[in-house]
Amino acid sequence: MPEIAICTQKLSRTFGNLTAVDGMNLEVAAGQFFGFLGPNGAGKSTTIKMLTGLLAPTSGSMELLGLDFAAHPVDVKRQIGVVPEGMGLLERLTGSEYLQFVGRMYGLDRATTQRRAAELLDFMQLADRPKTLIADYSHGMQKKLALAAAVIHGPRILFLDEPFEGVDALAAGALKALLGRMTERGTTIFLTSHVLEIVERLCSHVAIIHKGRLVAQGSLEELRAGISGEAGSKTTLEEVFLSIVGQDGAERPHLEELSWLM
Amino acid sequence: MVDVGAPVGILTQIGLVAGLRWRMLRNGLRKKSNRFDLIGLIFVGILSAIFVFGLCFTFFAGAYNFLSTGRFGWLSLLFWGIFVFWQLFPIFAAGFGASFEFRTLLRFPLNLTSFYIISLAYGLADFSALASVCWLVSMMLGAAAAKPAVLPAMLLVVTLLLILNVTLERLIGSWFERLLSRRRTRELFFALFILSMVSLNLIEPIMHRYGAILRPLAHRIVPYFSWFPPALAGKAIASAAQAHFGGVVLSSVGLLLYAAVFSVFLWARFAKQYRGEELSETAAPAPVAPRAAAKVDNAPDHLSALSPQVAAIVRKEFRYLTRNSFSFFSLIVPPMLILILSAQLSEARPRGSQFHVSSEMLFPGIMAYLVLILMAPAYNCFAFEGRGIQTYFMAPVRFREVFLGKNLMLLSVLAVEMILSLAMLAWRLGLPSPPVFVATITAIVFAVVGQLSLANWSSLNFPRKLEFGQMRGQRQSGMAVLIAFGAQFLFGGLSAVILFAGRWTENRWFSAEAFTLLASAALGGYFASLDALSRVAEKKKEVLIEALWR
Repeated sequence: MPEIAICTQKLSRTFGNLTAVDGMNLEVAAGQFFGFLGPNGAGKSTTIKMLTGLLAPTSGSMELLGLDFAAHPVDVKRQIGVVPEGMGLLERLTGSEYLQFVGRMYGLDRATTQRRAAELLDFMQLADRPKTLIADYSHGMQKKLALAAAVIHGPRILFLDEPFEGVDALAAGALKALLGRMTERGTTIFLTSHVLEIVERLCSHVAIIHKGRLVAQGSLEELRAGISGEAGSKTTLEEVFLSIVGQDGAERPHLEELSWLM
Repeated sequence: MVDVGAPVGILTQIGLVAGLRWRMLRNGLRKKSNRFDLIGLIFVGILSAIFVFGLCFTFFAGAYNFLSTGRFGWLSLLFWGIFVFWQLFPIFAAGFGASFEFRTLLRFPLNLTSFYIISLAYGLADFSALASVCWLVSMMLGAAAAKPAVLPAMLLVVTLLLILNVTLERLIGSWFERLLSRRRTRELFFALFILSMVSLNLIEPIMHRYGAILRPLAHRIVPYFSWFPPALAGKAIASAAQAHFGGVVLSSVGLLLYAAVFSVFLWARFAKQYRGEELSETAAPAPVAPRAAAKVDNAPDHLSALSPQVAAIVRKEFRYLTRNSFSFFSLIVPPMLILILSAQLSEARPRGSQFHVSSEMLFPGIMAYLVLILMAPAYNCFAFEGRGIQTYFMAPVRFREVFLGKNLMLLSVLAVEMILSLAMLAWRLGLPSPPVFVATITAIVFAVVGQLSLANWSSLNFPRKLEFGQMRGQRQSGMAVLIAFGAQFLFGGLSAVILFAGRWTENRWFSAEAFTLLASAALGGYFASLDALSRVAEKKKEVLIEALWR
């Protein structure tokens, strides 16, 4: 039985009358590259915020690496890394200063923090602008820095909310290779992305959330087989996604309504 | 076939932009936190109305009086007042292009002429422009009531002044926009602005010392002001009142020339913007430095006595302070004001005179002033974090550490400011007696530490995002200001009562003893509050992140 990295039980979150996440039971095994998909407003970011301590659940429980998040938030946070929505950078620091700040916040000693910060900046191709403030970074540079900050303490689970958005192809290739190596070494990666090709290429397991409910979960093969009804199917993730999320015709936009555009 | 929209008339476009400004104001009030601000806005609105309509009467009476008593030359003064207000008020209060960047309109199918005209219409909707128009109309009515014959000239002059002023205001605005488009120049500008405001306090001492030299110089310069637009406007009306129509024409042509020159400059600026001028630094690639080898700093850690997390926050706070030129330079203000104040007091009331101001009285007063000024930002201590606030919630720390780091930095700043101020005071007026010195220091510990718990609580409950190096839209949360005011009143009042009780009982050490007791209680309360505040932070994190995200 593989070790469970993330386990949620009836996890829910409401905002007034709106239920953003509704009784989610999610299980992610350690070392998996896990893709978390859903259309806009489905509850992906709300889920990732709850799993990383940025948002309190209305009800239900979460266990990360066998620890109850509500009871041991600091112990859990010590072992996870996050690239949140909006990146959460302190924009008046330089890239190096920010990484050193984050390293020290995670309890790394000064020398280790400095060494890792320098190596990460080098890897992310951010080392050649040592005096530039984060406020003056481009969006792609900020994304790379947020990723560097998320891994500086060597987390056992890495949460990535749209990590490749705005990152150039060269850096994206290097990042994918890095993430692949991390999962080989046992790091669990929990990734959300709207680019289904990226999820299909990187992830071994996928969950799909729709209107706050988990509507599918399993390995890519299991999901494909579930749609086509046969093992080893060549069905793409996009087809799987559309067949699950867009099952009711009401979900699909009607092009006839835009006849004036065609 | 795709339908393409029909061309839109200029009036429709002006109407659309006016509607946009109104909707932005209305939608901004939808959020609950902003509704508190609505009360403040209504209050400011009432005060502004009193200010505008009060001055309307003044301008009406001024124009009527000067024309009916034959003091025509004085009319220029009224025009000068309006001119200066119209041009300077936007710089002080409204700023340029922070909440709505006018150039964003360029993505729509506007030609340069439409862009130019809409910009002028936009400028006419500013408070300074609306108020100035009201005052010009009041002047016109006053002038017509005194001498009906000047009405046509007044109409001409007011129209020319209106075009001239709105064009110049937009021109200065666009120059400022250009100047302030870069973060560093923006921060430097606001730092200089603060310093120049403080320097106004130096006018009186300078005039006192060098007035005799400066006065003749000023008399030589004043005649040159007669060539400026307000003076020309005054001359035109004075000529009309004396039926010298040549003078009216000459002055009006002068005003027209000014308007034409400003229009040419403004057209050139807008033409550049229209062609896609981009000035912000993020659009330009940053200079690339040769890649340096990774190096480890082996220098001793001066904050090793603190936990790594608290030390990291202190360092980060220090960096933020030094990079926020507005806040950093404002630290110069208190010692500078104390220097000016103590210098003026020691000169005006020298030692030995009946009304000599001693440091016995001034020292507690000055320290209370420092606490009042420097504690105010603590009531919204996350203001400059922006989205970075998430870092504190993602990291394995409790908010106890975050507050300790932030409060330590504030206390360090306070200590440095106090030492500087004490040095200034000792230099100009001498040191206070030991009982007063100890009583004041312990009173500060009591007042500052006592306030910190409240300030931390206020920061969690009423956060408001502030931007570095910006003045426009930089309003603190109304509730945070109220709490700060209440707390300062409470602690300041209590401290004053204890200080006076010491004098009244003639027990020189009574105040020091009482404050030592209170300071100990405040310290105990502060450390006890940190865990409770960590729990509050956990409950309030969504409010905090949401407020600082925007």
